[in-house]
Amino acid sequence: MEPKVIFPLLKRIIPVAAIILIVIWLYQVYGALDYTIKNLPEFFRLVLEHFFLVIVSMATAGSVGVGLGIIMTRKGFDRFGSAIMVLVNIWQSIPSLGVIALAYGFLPLLGLSGIGVVPALIALFFHAVAPIVRNTYAGIQSVSKDVIEAATGMGMTPNQILFRIEIPNALPVIMGGIRTATAIIVGSAPLACLIGGGGLGFWIFTGIALMDMGILMAGAVPVALIAMFFDTLLARLERIVVSAGIQTEEYQAA
Amino acid sequence: MGTMLSLQEVTKIYPGAEHIKAVDSLSFDLEEGEICTMVGPSGCGKTTAMKMVNRLIPITSGKILIDGQNISRLDTIELRRSIGYVIQNIGLFPNMTIGENIATIPKLKGWDHDQIAEKVEGLLEIINLPPSEYIDRYPKELSGGQQQRIGVARAMAADPPIMLMDEPFGAIDPINREHLQDEFLKIQEKVNKTIVFVTHDIDEAIKMGDKICLLKDGKLVQFASPEELLTEPANEFVRDFVGGDRTLKRLNLLKVKAAMCPDPPVIMKDESPEKAKSMLNELKADHLIVVDNEKRLMGYVDQEALTKKADEVGDIMRSTDAFLPASSSLKDGLSEIFTHDVGYIIVVDEDKKVLGVLREDGIKEILRK
Repeated sequence: MEPKVIFPLLKRIIPVAAIILIVIWLYQVYGALDYTIKNLPEFFRLVLEHFFLVIVSMATAGSVGVGLGIIMTRKGFDRFGSAIMVLVNIWQSIPSLGVIALAYGFLPLLGLSGIGVVPALIALFFHAVAPIVRNTYAGIQSVSKDVIEAATGMGMTPNQILFRIEIPNALPVIMGGIRTATAIIVGSAPLACLIGGGGLGFWIFTGIALMDMGILMAGAVPVALIAMFFDTLLARLERIVVSAGIQTEEYQAA
Repeated sequence: MGTMLSLQEVTKIYPGAEHIKAVDSLSFDLEEGEICTMVGPSGCGKTTAMKMVNRLIPITSGKILIDGQNISRLDTIELRRSIGYVIQNIGLFPNMTIGENIATIPKLKGWDHDQIAEKVEGLLEIINLPPSEYIDRYPKELSGGQQQRIGVARAMAADPPIMLMDEPFGAIDPINREHLQDEFLKIQEKVNKTIVFVTHDIDEAIKMGDKICLLKDGKLVQFASPEELLTEPANEFVRDFVGGDRTLKRLNLLKVKAAMCPDPPVIMKDESPEKAKSMLNELKADHLIVVDNEKRLMGYVDQEALTKKADEVGDIMRSTDAFLPASSSLKDGLSEIFTHDVGYIIVVDEDKKVLGVLREDGIKEILRK
């Protein structure tokens, strides 16, 4: 094979191989594998719960965030755009643990339970929606005014411009927001167990409480793998949905 | 050929600037197939006036008729789809291929697939970008000049009778701009659109326009053909705007055909040198143009050439490249005369048939008019 082919391949294989080796090593060295095998049914339950937390909060944050971001760019609403963006940016600066704690403390004031899966989902949703709103808004705003003027002058309706021009051209930025949000959710999901939301966080915090690295790693390693899984998935998705006309070379290499 | 576009007392006052009329009672008519270049200093209202035609800017008072129909009674979207629109910064859709860009309006109009494909390929041929090579490429892969040609093709895709062009070649470098202008005029000969063409460049306005609409502070200063604008400027402002080199600009505008002198001294190539000699003496000329029996230019003979022995003038004639097509500008004609340092240039048609000769005094005479 030509070096031109080998180098990019190596660039992709080396990090993946390194990660796999580290995972195996972590698993072995602390006895996490043994613990997982002994508690296989619980392991599967926690993984499922974890996926549930991530997917449900992603789906809701994604649809609400993209929707809100689009509305903010529409005529009549656009004047609120920058004000909402300020709120969104402040909101995003609150750390994950803070959001979980806020949900725990705030929901009972509304007469809702602060404990369980729903409060956890609500917390994750609110935490993840910010970057999606921000990127959708910024992405659509950044579509060239010339392109919009040409489309308008040619006789496209506002909806046609939105769906055929604005969203497709804003997609790399929107997808960037979704990937950021996913990283936040995957990273925060282990905290859900603190308010009874379940998930692999349970083993992590149990491990910390018992000072047992095996249990901790049995929870932490799958969490890291799930994070990588979602990021890869979204990167792949991005390459499919983003038009080749606006993909940069970096993208195509991703 | 009826009136295609008619502006009647069109006025625009922007909200918040009530004391300024951005466009002030502008009226003019355009015949089908005419290009009207709108020109004037920046802020004169030329772009505003143009954008009122497709209602990108709402009209304050007055009316605009397209083919006799008041545009304010038409559906905005339908109106815009029946008007081609080209802007300075092109505005191709980066997420779509060249083919998809051009097909945009036909698709929205619900043309069937084959009809669209045929149209897109036809337009790419017209703008000299081979369909097989360009149809699936994306705008970012093309040069500015190529992109602007796609912009023009996209605007023409749904066969609009009218096109609006807002400084379409303004962002292109001078060499390519000239090339695009020539190319566009050739396309226009085939498609015969009624075009409103905004430019800030008086030379472009003169070159591209059948009519020039010169605006100042929203008011029409002069609406005339380029020749009229150059020879009879309405006032001092027009004179200044057109520039001190009005006469030279006319050289660009006028064609060789208008200034040439027909019936030049010609001789068939199979005539005898004796005949040529006697013709030269009779006409008191220095040269005779040698043609074949189709009247196509072969060369020339002069006294010196005729000293050689031959049966036919065709055998002793000299070749010449001091000729040019009748459709060339007088500027090119004059330039040829100076380049070859000859008294006249032979004027030919596309088949190289001799039509006449262009002399310096012919050019002087027509410029004096």
